[in-house]
Amino acid sequence: MSISKKVILVGHFGVGKTSLIRQFVHQKFSDEYLTTIGVKIDKKELQVDGMDVTLIIWDIAGETEQNKVPASYQLGAHGVLYVFDITRPSTYQNLHEQVNHMQGLLPNAPIQILANKTDLLTPEECESILGGIDFQEVHQTSAKTGLNVEEAFRLLTKAIVS
Amino acid sequence: MEKKPLFDKLRTILLEQDWEERKELAEKLEDLDDQLNSRDRLEEKVQPILQDQQEHFKNNFPKLFGPQITETISKQIKDSQDEVVEALYPIIGRMIKKYIASEIQKLSEKVDAQMELAFSWEGWKVRIKAWISGTPQSEAMMSQLIDPKIEEIFIIEKNSGLLMGSFSKNQTVDQDMIAGMLTAIKAFVEDAFAGGEQELDSIDYDNFKIVVKSFNSFFIAIVASGGMNAAFKDRIDSTVLEFADKVLRKARKGDDEEVDQKQISGSLEEYFNDFDNVDQ
Repeated sequence: MSISKKVILVGHFGVGKTSLIRQFVHQKFSDEYLTTIGVKIDKKELQVDGMDVTLIIWDIAGETEQNKVPASYQLGAHGVLYVFDITRPSTYQNLHEQVNHMQGLLPNAPIQILANKTDLLTPEECESILGGIDFQEVHQTSAKTGLNVEEAFRLLTKAIVS
Repeated sequence: MEKKPLFDKLRTILLEQDWEERKELAEKLEDLDDQLNSRDRLEEKVQPILQDQQEHFKNNFPKLFGPQITETISKQIKDSQDEVVEALYPIIGRMIKKYIASEIQKLSEKVDAQMELAFSWEGWKVRIKAWISGTPQSEAMMSQLIDPKIEEIFIIEKNSGLLMGSFSKNQTVDQDMIAGMLTAIKAFVEDAFAGGEQELDSIDYDNFKIVVKSFNSFFIAIVASGGMNAAFKDRIDSTVLEFADKVLRKARKGDDEEVDQKQISGSLEEYFNDFDNVDQ
């Protein structure tokens, strides 16, 4: 028997939320940027700890501040992926505030932070930027190369079901 | 011979049993004292009794307090009628508004149908055809119209948009994704346009209509094709209410988190598979 869980991807516009989902669900990447209007829903089945889990993934249109996103899209989520673009400081400058907002809205849902587009910088540059972000766990991802994409979703699913 | 050892011996013989009893009593007292003063031990003893009492209270709550609660509520309503009216007015007002709108629609459909039948060329053609073939006029008239049919039903958890159960005659689309998108559309419309507590009732597209019935923690989306009339909508309403009461409430009782999707889908099939074939 499979269990279904709702996962939402949030963050500023253009940080690569849709591309991460595309890479995770369809193993594809496109350089063409199409802004998400409202919300887009995708689905992926995976096995975590011997359990069949169906992830219903809500790709929510990017906003500079999460309180501008309709709460009804976020409510009922079992897990959150907060995505920022490592090459654009404006997308992670108020990271603490945004993550706190999400934690307040979904107190029982695990939240994972993804630093996306790491393929555009050297590993040293990435480390240096992440060093300046005072967060315990930030996962480096690249929707383009697929780096850590599957792992990020798997880790979140594990946190949800455990 | 010294007297003291003898006296001690005599005392031992006479009081030995008393001493043992006293010792035993002291031990028991000490143990009791420990039980009363040690939180863990006291908890161990008292917890099962409390649990039993709690269970008993839970199981017999309606029996024990039902009449008193009913009496209190009745008294409260009697004493504070203004407050009750104020609280219920928005809900009842909306219900009345919906009921009147539905009745007016039914009446208008009836008038339309009668006018059509009485004056239109199509009406006369059908009458003549029915007269020649010997079939009742009403039957011939009905066959001219497209019968409404239920194509799909989705039961969706309100906030998460997760599918709780579904019924489909075609099985062409990914139902999990449809459930999610319907939730998003509903949320968007209600956030963007609805004033106050209003909810999305239906979505129309081409020859299809999605009727949305909202409940407390879930909503039901019924996809119907054909000419949906008020009578058909009424029948859907009552069947959905019965289904929600008999199946969904039971399914939710077991576990708040997970519901048995297969069981709900099976029951949906039972309730709605022959829904279109039932004579109205």
